[in-house]
Amino acid sequence: MAVMLTVNGEEHSLDVEGDTPLLWVVRDELGLKGTKFGCGAGLCGACTVHLNGQPVRSCSTPVEMAAGGRVETIESLGGEDRLHPLQKAWVEHGVPQCGYCQSGQIMSAAHLLANNPAPSRDEIVAAMTGNLCRCGTYSRIIAAVESVAAGSSNQQDA
Amino acid sequence: MTMNRRDFLKFGAGASGSLVVSLALPGCAGIQTGYQPETGEWRPDAWLELTANDEIFFTLARVEMGQGTYTGLTTLIAEELEVRPEKITPRFAPVAPEYQNPLYNLQLTGGSTSMATSWEPLRMAGAEARQMLVMAAARVWNVDAAECQAREGRVVHPNGIDSMAYGKLVELASKEVVRGDIALKPRADWKYIGKQSGRLDARAKSTGTAVYGIDVDLPGMIYGVIARPPRYGGRVRSFNGDDVRAMTGVIDVFETDRGVAVVADKYWRARKAQETLRIEWDFSEALSVSTEDVFESYRTAADEDAGESERSEGSFERAVEGAERVLEAEYAQPYLAHATLEPMNATAWYRGDRMEVWAPTQAPDLGRIAVARATDLGPDDVTIHTTFLGGGFGRRLTQDYIEEAAALANRVRRPVKVIWSREEDTRHDFYRPAMLHRMRASLAGGQLTGWHHQIVGPQILDWYVRNAAPAQYPWAPKFMYDTLGKVGLMAEGIATPKDMSAIEGAIEYPYQVDNIDIRHTHTDPGVPITWWRSVGYSHNGFAVETFMDELAHEAGEDPYQFRRRLVASEPRHLEVLDRAARLADWAAPAPRGRARGIALFRSFGTYVAQVVEAGIENDSIRVYKVACAVDCGQVVNPRIVEDQIEGGILFGLTAALYGQITLDNGEVQQSNFHDYRLMRQYERPDVLVDIVDSAEVPTGVGEPGVPPVIPALGNALFALTGKRQRSLPLRAEA
Repeated sequence: MAVMLTVNGEEHSLDVEGDTPLLWVVRDELGLKGTKFGCGAGLCGACTVHLNGQPVRSCSTPVEMAAGGRVETIESLGGEDRLHPLQKAWVEHGVPQCGYCQSGQIMSAAHLLANNPAPSRDEIVAAMTGNLCRCGTYSRIIAAVESVAAGSSNQQDA
Repeated sequence: MTMNRRDFLKFGAGASGSLVVSLALPGCAGIQTGYQPETGEWRPDAWLELTANDEIFFTLARVEMGQGTYTGLTTLIAEELEVRPEKITPRFAPVAPEYQNPLYNLQLTGGSTSMATSWEPLRMAGAEARQMLVMAAARVWNVDAAECQAREGRVVHPNGIDSMAYGKLVELASKEVVRGDIALKPRADWKYIGKQSGRLDARAKSTGTAVYGIDVDLPGMIYGVIARPPRYGGRVRSFNGDDVRAMTGVIDVFETDRGVAVVADKYWRARKAQETLRIEWDFSEALSVSTEDVFESYRTAADEDAGESERSEGSFERAVEGAERVLEAEYAQPYLAHATLEPMNATAWYRGDRMEVWAPTQAPDLGRIAVARATDLGPDDVTIHTTFLGGGFGRRLTQDYIEEAAALANRVRRPVKVIWSREEDTRHDFYRPAMLHRMRASLAGGQLTGWHHQIVGPQILDWYVRNAAPAQYPWAPKFMYDTLGKVGLMAEGIATPKDMSAIEGAIEYPYQVDNIDIRHTHTDPGVPITWWRSVGYSHNGFAVETFMDELAHEAGEDPYQFRRRLVASEPRHLEVLDRAARLADWAAPAPRGRARGIALFRSFGTYVAQVVEAGIENDSIRVYKVACAVDCGQVVNPRIVEDQIEGGILFGLTAALYGQITLDNGEVQQSNFHDYRLMRQYERPDVLVDIVDSAEVPTGVGEPGVPPVIPALGNALFALTGKRQRSLPLRAEA
């Protein structure tokens, strides 16, 4: 079947089975490898993308449920030369170790800040708790998100 | 190794534009950058390549799996070469003798050895290249080389004004020869070692552009999945191949050594086809033990065999005779899975007379043997392209997943990527072995007079030699592989090395006790095992440091002071112990409802002491704080050291709180993150890390954070509840 999807601002008509998880469509049909496969069951968050502005686990979202929708992946946030403030914070705080979970972490954080530019520590922890990191980068993640949250409120103040 | 860069076959910039895979010769997989320099490159040694365009490439022989080699080892080169680390582009090494880990005679990354084994040779490599560049510039200017200075990628003229970029000197430098000793920079002149704190891979890993094994893309690539027997050692008897072959996208369905393979044009189609497989298994040779059987067999073995003596001082039996009190305790630890977040995967391409493999592997030379086993090729016909690893923790030292991809590629003759599901990754792991420890100690006059530790369980080399031994003899004919595996791993070609995996951390018992008896009873229930972050230290740490805590309480002494007194003559132990106690405010009472536990443990040459502050909230164990002091010798990158120690602490806590793989009639009962839990963000304790400033040779930091946190938490729970837990994972309702 043909599925219409807008991914990172580009429209695509894709010939895939409707039950194919959005994850594999993004990765293998569109070649956007930044979104990762971790568990296939919505338990680890490595595959987090935004669907119509909401964070979803693309590994357990059949592409037909996203049909006609707007998908944003890590690649939409910024490239190596044009970093999103969160990506900049991730680099400055040296967050990634193995790095495999970090696309998902950043996508969860990006959704949080888009809706709540100055979250409390507890709100950040709650928003990030669905994203597993086996290397244990959790404290750097909080520090990085807080630095951007503070920065964005400063900008608003200025 | 010589190579012509223009001969490279290059392709694969996908829609993301992020991945360019270059094929053909080893050493040239521009997998991170896709960049190919054009002219005038100079290779002063196996690691470095400088080009006329002022690029510097560094061949990284220890893989990057999160532990920081990509940054840390590059920093060593940068320091001596006098360039900023960011100016250097690391590349993952091909398989070659010069990239072996000298401690193992294998090209493997493990044992927290990367920094220790690279510390001298990489600085020497950087220094030699720098001296050659300086000599070349001096020759151009006709001045004394000793008067010239290297700085920020340039050689500066004695007049302090003129300078030449390294790129301009590459051709001339290649003709220079350094006579006499290579001079390393004095510690006082270091610009990056001990100061560098960023990570060179942070940008790629924050933008989704870092290429892991699972991200490799090749033209015409297809996907393979394998239905493996639910019990280890099971064989395929029959399966409904024709039905499955008829499904959309399916290219082939066939039996392999590891189960039934389904190959399809898309990953999801392969998975769906796999679900319709009906396989009849032959379990006649399969694993049939349950968890209780394993521990039962350990207890029987321990009763029947006192074990091989691994350390003996004084006479433990005499100490017992003269004792006022003798304490006995038995500790048990379960099998553990690695749970790397990137599941096992590998991509292989059979190309007639050779095979290329792209894989996240900790041991590419063993990977070549794995390919040789699955094909008609020899190891020299195999090229392994190492990618970034989405976690390793020892799992990717075993090359079963490469062997699978090779078997599939050998059959389908097209590039094929094998991806494991999380359930498969959990159920078909090679596990941290379950272990049993029997401890006895004698006390007389309030003093610890005797220490007896009987370790019961398997040895990892028994499982690892299968491919490790042939990897040391890549020229050996294939029919000899199994013989080599049986003979054992030859260190330096002459002797079978001692397998320390069961006893490490037990035999280095650091406390001053006159009578010591440490033994290992070797017994193997047949459950597949391998290295797991901190290996033997992970279970011996729990046994030794929990029993020390029991003894302190028995002797009526504060557990910190008890240890302190017994390591009084070990300055590095003492230093970290005191620092951790200070950092945790040990002398002050813990906040209401909480208690503290302490542990001290040296592993991989690194000294670590930790104090855990924990409580019980809503029937769950809650860890509030971990204070940690670490002495790892000279620190190269302070932030990476901190991160590795903190990461190790969270890894250890995950094991202490949740970690267990159980077996029922040979079947692993856990499958995904709901029943093999990892610590989540909201459970994270505050971690404080205090690093000792030291000029000693650097030691590893990837693993040493793990072992002490497990007993420190158990000891805290004892202080809280008065009940001692001697098996893992720990429970709130003790």
